[in-house]
Amino acid sequence: MTEGEDTPFTLNGKPAVAHPGETVLSVAKRHGIHIPTLCHHDAVAPYGACRLCVVEVSWGKRSKIVTSCIYMPYENDSVETDSARVRRVRAMVLELLWSRHPEVEALRDLAGEYGVEEPRFGADPSEAPNRCILCGMCVRVCAEVVGQHAIGYARRGSERRISTPYGDAAEECIGCAACVFICPTGALHYEDVGGLRLMKELQTEIPLASCRSCGEPFATEQQIARVQERLNLPKEVAETCPRCRGTQHRRAMEKVLVTKRS
Amino acid sequence: MKTSPISTPAQLAKLAASARKAFLAPKPKILVGAATCGLATGAGRVLDALREQTNGKLDGLRVLETGCIGACFLEPLVDVVMPGQARITYAHVTSEDVPGILDALAEGKVYEKRAVGRIDAEPFLLDDVKKNYRRGKFAEDVRKVPSYEKVPFFAGQLHVAMRNCGYIDPSSIEDYIAKGGYSAAAKALTEMEPEQIIEEIKTSGLRGRGGGGFPTGRKWETARKAPGDVRYVICNADEGDPGAYMDRAIIEGDPHSVIEGMIIGSYAIGSHEGYVYVREEYPLAVKRLRLALRQAEEMGFLGDNIFGSGHRFRIRINRGAGAFVCGESTALMASLEGRVGEPRAKYIHTVESGLWAKPSCLNNVETWNNVPVIIARGAEWYASIGTEGSKGTKVFSLVGKVNRVGLVEVPMGMTLRQVIEDIGGGIENGGQFKAVQTGGPSGGCIPSEYLDSPVDFDELTKLGSMMGSGGMIVMDDRTCMVDVARYFLAFLKDESCGKCVPCREGTARMLEILDGICEGRGRPGDIDLLHELSEAIVDGSLCALGGSAPNPVLTTLKYFSEEYRAHIEDRRCPAKVCRALIRFAIDPDKCTGCAACVSACPEKAISGEKKEPHAIDQTKCVKCGVCVDACRFDAIEVKQGSETE
Repeated sequence: MTEGEDTPFTLNGKPAVAHPGETVLSVAKRHGIHIPTLCHHDAVAPYGACRLCVVEVSWGKRSKIVTSCIYMPYENDSVETDSARVRRVRAMVLELLWSRHPEVEALRDLAGEYGVEEPRFGADPSEAPNRCILCGMCVRVCAEVVGQHAIGYARRGSERRISTPYGDAAEECIGCAACVFICPTGALHYEDVGGLRLMKELQTEIPLASCRSCGEPFATEQQIARVQERLNLPKEVAETCPRCRGTQHRRAMEKVLVTKRS
Repeated sequence: MKTSPISTPAQLAKLAASARKAFLAPKPKILVGAATCGLATGAGRVLDALREQTNGKLDGLRVLETGCIGACFLEPLVDVVMPGQARITYAHVTSEDVPGILDALAEGKVYEKRAVGRIDAEPFLLDDVKKNYRRGKFAEDVRKVPSYEKVPFFAGQLHVAMRNCGYIDPSSIEDYIAKGGYSAAAKALTEMEPEQIIEEIKTSGLRGRGGGGFPTGRKWETARKAPGDVRYVICNADEGDPGAYMDRAIIEGDPHSVIEGMIIGSYAIGSHEGYVYVREEYPLAVKRLRLALRQAEEMGFLGDNIFGSGHRFRIRINRGAGAFVCGESTALMASLEGRVGEPRAKYIHTVESGLWAKPSCLNNVETWNNVPVIIARGAEWYASIGTEGSKGTKVFSLVGKVNRVGLVEVPMGMTLRQVIEDIGGGIENGGQFKAVQTGGPSGGCIPSEYLDSPVDFDELTKLGSMMGSGGMIVMDDRTCMVDVARYFLAFLKDESCGKCVPCREGTARMLEILDGICEGRGRPGDIDLLHELSEAIVDGSLCALGGSAPNPVLTTLKYFSEEYRAHIEDRRCPAKVCRALIRFAIDPDKCTGCAACVSACPEKAISGEKKEPHAIDQTKCVKCGVCVDACRFDAIEVKQGSETE
């Protein structure tokens, strides 16, 4: 692939073109070809962990399985997004994940599409059921978008889990809850109670700040400080809740208009 | 010897000449194999005793530490250079032997009790010469000691990578220089163009010794051509395969060979910064490497304007914290960057975008170590060793149920049989060969019908195994192949980083199935399910750890399927290993009622009157086998079936 040039290749038997730096997943999306994913999100960098987006690339008689969310096609690649070999990998990935997380409905539905009716592996009775499929979106959004690195992975292999450093309350966490919003399986939660934002799964509590104007808690203190710093906002603006800011803005506009008219 | 920095090849040649003279000085010298393997068997105590007792005893006697010469089954090893005679190898030396060795040396005699071999000449591989120790005739007792060419363990070996291991004091850069060290770097940097070096490495046919077997010259060429000014040279010393210690031995015994290889590589690809990623579990290797780096810096072999060529290069050491996956190149680089050691997809190769997204040329310890030899002796010479597709030699750690355990270095193309039978001396205790596992945990088990296959990258791959980094674990007829597959899979499952689903979840599920089979809970569909899982894991995993993790299962299924079936269908472990499928019983005819087993049994499961045959309570027995070891009358049998039938 030459920089700055499009790469022609074959996608499901039809000619296609990848723009510079474009992955198979992205090209497929432009062509209306659906490739299932579990760890892909446009807000964060590709990770290649769930292996659901695998596709088969062949050159003549040779072929191999690649992850479409990372793989950028080369000229003369012939990519099949739904071959038998691809479907076998996806079916096994889904069966493995579903057996581990039977309560995640999305997995069951997807598994059904790949012909998995019942996982052949039992749930681990020693482990409390959890919904986390370790797609790592929370970790990546915290690091790449929020820039805080408040959570990461602990342990390895089948012991792997999402954790704050040493499992303690994360000092770096600003309580923005981006991790909660991006989580595809509902494994992370937050709750605002008694002036605190509770991040249950992350053992972290962050004090909420009240709006200067209406006195209602609306975001965490660190979050406000962070936004103020990043956007260089006046303190009084940052510490006012969006609703009050709207009201204030409207009033100010009205004042201007009234003055102009008169 | 006080040495000042070297800035020209001529200065190096002069130093080499004087260092060689000192090295070969006709004075007594005692070398103690003090690599980790030697130290583990007591070489430290021998060394202490030698140093204590030599005080002023013999004029000019030097007692030195040296690296591993490979014969681990003979450790602790002490080599004694008898001036004007030969170098005698003493095996299984303890501190009690020290007075005898010293007295014999003082009298110019061999300490016959421990003598196992004789080296007649000191080899200088890089210069293609051998210097005889002998002046005049052999003394009678020296002549009686068999020369290395006649000691079966050494006879078939060819030491290229291990050229200095066991010969030099690894903490002495002068020793290394005496052996021709750094002359290849001097030649490369002052007489050769980078492209010429790359061409030489390509012509030599050298392939990566770390596992992949990728042609080294081609890797270097890609790294050199990759755009950008900054490039890195990396040495992968994160050797983690169970039972494998080739790289450890090379670093402990000959650290400068790796540094010299990296200097040549850095010049060839245009890099000024190198890293050695070595595991923290190798403290002695780290220590020796650190010292060697400092020496090389002091001599000017690392730094600015090396050999006056204008090339600058420095090396730093990074210690790995013990994750097997960090031996994978992208995980290693992530770890070097200070991130979690997890692999990434390699669709863009690390030679183009590796460490800190710069072109990075990563090679294994043994690969770097081979480079100076190729430059010194020429690609043609190197390529004359080995097979069509696999050139040079390969170091293997020959372990398991063989008589002679150790590090062996053989020319590529030697058959597995030659390695195991001729060098390794066959199966211990007169047992039967069953399989050999090559290529580390994700290699495969090769059965006896393929024993005449050569050690060769492509041939081993054809058999479903691989060369890997050089592990060679020999198994006998008392080994259960299902249990072996389970062992390796358990290792890989524990070492999976957990990033991608097939490896994380798939290996755990495969292990569950294997556990079930070994515990007598195997089900009819298990073999098919193992195949199905294997295919998805091989195809779907992110990195080579997952991609090769099913290998031990796949090869044992291929070559030993009847053992799987015996476990599943008959609830029987043919090798009598799987505890759930066997029981221990006392043969009343053989039992003398000595009660040795009664006191040995940790579960108090054995009872019986003195001088009457004893019996084992099957409900208490945990099948640990301690009673079998305790019984002097061979009266305890291992029987098929878990219950008393």
